[in-house]
Amino acid sequence: MKDHRKLGAKIWNYRWLYLMLVPILAYYVIFKYIPMYGVTIAFKDYNVFKGVLASPWCGFKVFNKLFANKNFWHAVRNTLILNFATLLVSFPLTIIVSLMLNEVRSALFKRVTQSILYLPHFISWVVVAAISVNMFSVTDGTINMIVERAGFKAIPFLSDNTWWVVTYVICNVWKEIGWGTIIYLAALTGVDESLYEAAYLDGATKFQRLIYITLPSIKSVIVTMLILQISKMMTIGLEAPLLIGNKKVLGVSEVISTYTYRIGIERAKYSDSTAIGLFQSVFNIIVLVLADKFAKLIGEDGII
Amino acid sequence: MTTKKKLSVGLVINGIVLFIIGFICLYPFLNVLAYSMSGYNAVLSGKVTFYPIDFNIDAYRQILGKTQIWLAMRATVIVTLLGTALSLILTIFAAYALSIKDLPGRKAFTIFILFTMYFSGGMIPTFIVVKSLGMYDTLLSLFLPQAINVFNFIVMRTFFRNLPESLSEAARIDGASYMTILFKIVLPLSIPIIATIGLFYAVAYWNTYFDALLYIKSPEKYTLQLRLKSLLFEGELNNSGANVEGIGTQVMTQSLKMATVAVSTMPILVVYPWLQKYFVKGVMIGSVKG
Repeated sequence: MKDHRKLGAKIWNYRWLYLMLVPILAYYVIFKYIPMYGVTIAFKDYNVFKGVLASPWCGFKVFNKLFANKNFWHAVRNTLILNFATLLVSFPLTIIVSLMLNEVRSALFKRVTQSILYLPHFISWVVVAAISVNMFSVTDGTINMIVERAGFKAIPFLSDNTWWVVTYVICNVWKEIGWGTIIYLAALTGVDESLYEAAYLDGATKFQRLIYITLPSIKSVIVTMLILQISKMMTIGLEAPLLIGNKKVLGVSEVISTYTYRIGIERAKYSDSTAIGLFQSVFNIIVLVLADKFAKLIGEDGII
Repeated sequence: MTTKKKLSVGLVINGIVLFIIGFICLYPFLNVLAYSMSGYNAVLSGKVTFYPIDFNIDAYRQILGKTQIWLAMRATVIVTLLGTALSLILTIFAAYALSIKDLPGRKAFTIFILFTMYFSGGMIPTFIVVKSLGMYDTLLSLFLPQAINVFNFIVMRTFFRNLPESLSEAARIDGASYMTILFKIVLPLSIPIIATIGLFYAVAYWNTYFDALLYIKSPEKYTLQLRLKSLLFEGELNNSGANVEGIGTQVMTQSLKMATVAVSTMPILVVYPWLQKYFVKGVMIGSVKG
């Protein structure tokens, strides 16, 4: 009884904090948790007029149909290709650029370079797509003008499947590389300065200091970032492939998100589209857990 | 420091390479500006690189004369202002309340929020909810359903946690309520993080294309990105050399297109330098300890 009153008094004590959390609770229930329940339509014959609750259950019918569809597997393949290609280039490059920025002595030069490198992160994909046409177009794109002036044939960056993947990777790297350095630069400022001084006195070369001090110091950040990125392999933003892509390269630019959009919104197949989303979520969670286990296995902190 | 006097070859090369990377990052922007301000013949001859030739601002005059652009600008400004305000308030409330260590139920509530990062209903279930709330084809649909970003919440909570506790404790003893402490003590100390998170939200709302594509139907409610997309990519394939338009109109539209891009990006470029000094610090705080 007394305990109850104590708890009551405690909660009364925090009444303002709970009041602040009321709109947060409402927001998450309405816009996140109710849609989570809506996932059940992946197991239903969804009927717009009956709604989510009253539509009849149909078991795994939608999934069986989905897994038998070769367009779905194409979208999965393309998602993995684009994500891995981007990761392969951007991951090492981000670390290299961070290390280079870390070596800069002039504070002004460093600040200006950083500001410029972060800038593309704040630009919308619609604008990036417009710029990419400027840069990569066959007829008057800047890059092809250089290529042709050097005596080679123009490269079909936007209309050939393989070259389009290259274009996609370049656009992504251009947009996010600077932003990606922030986390490494933060980690690099945490490296103990006295280690460098000791190594310098012992006659270690710059390269040796990099290999034996700098990299080991930021190793856990590198591993964490890698796990996070790999666990997102099945997730891809819709805007980049939809906007940079065009009808000619649908064979590689049709990814899970754009496919979900086309099926769900353009063709109003709600159950199918939701099933893809569920497949994606479950896949992501499994990979995340596995990646986390792996990180702990090799002696890192893990992320969950 | 002893290493300072040595400006080695390596450092110089490092600087040069970074300069080149910076230039590559900046070049497309300069290219857009150059195209938008260059003369007809210069664009036609393909001479324009990163500075305007035959400087003129006709394209800007033309683009700013279009009501479509102004309508889209208005919709985007409304969404960005209301959205950023709402997002900041909610994020501050959530982050502050859940930064108080002995709040009963704090852990459960935090997990309740974090869980949405890993599992979501996805596109269609969210779409159904938004539609059934009568928000389809309203500007409300562009900010209410995504008002709180979990990452921003984490960054802000970390910032609040790292504030010296003694200040709030003293105020508690004096009988101040948590609401008073938040507004009188915590927020004045949190300007950098509010500027940072505010910038993130504002940029996200300004740039969002997908939500508008999903929820907006009527052309008069088109946001800037939606309008931009329809202006720039009408007859989508002309970027791949399959252009059948007369060459004159093609060049005209090129300057016009780039002026449109410049106009729609300008607001971000204007606020960016002012907030830049805050957000690097802000993100570092969140990312190191988050």
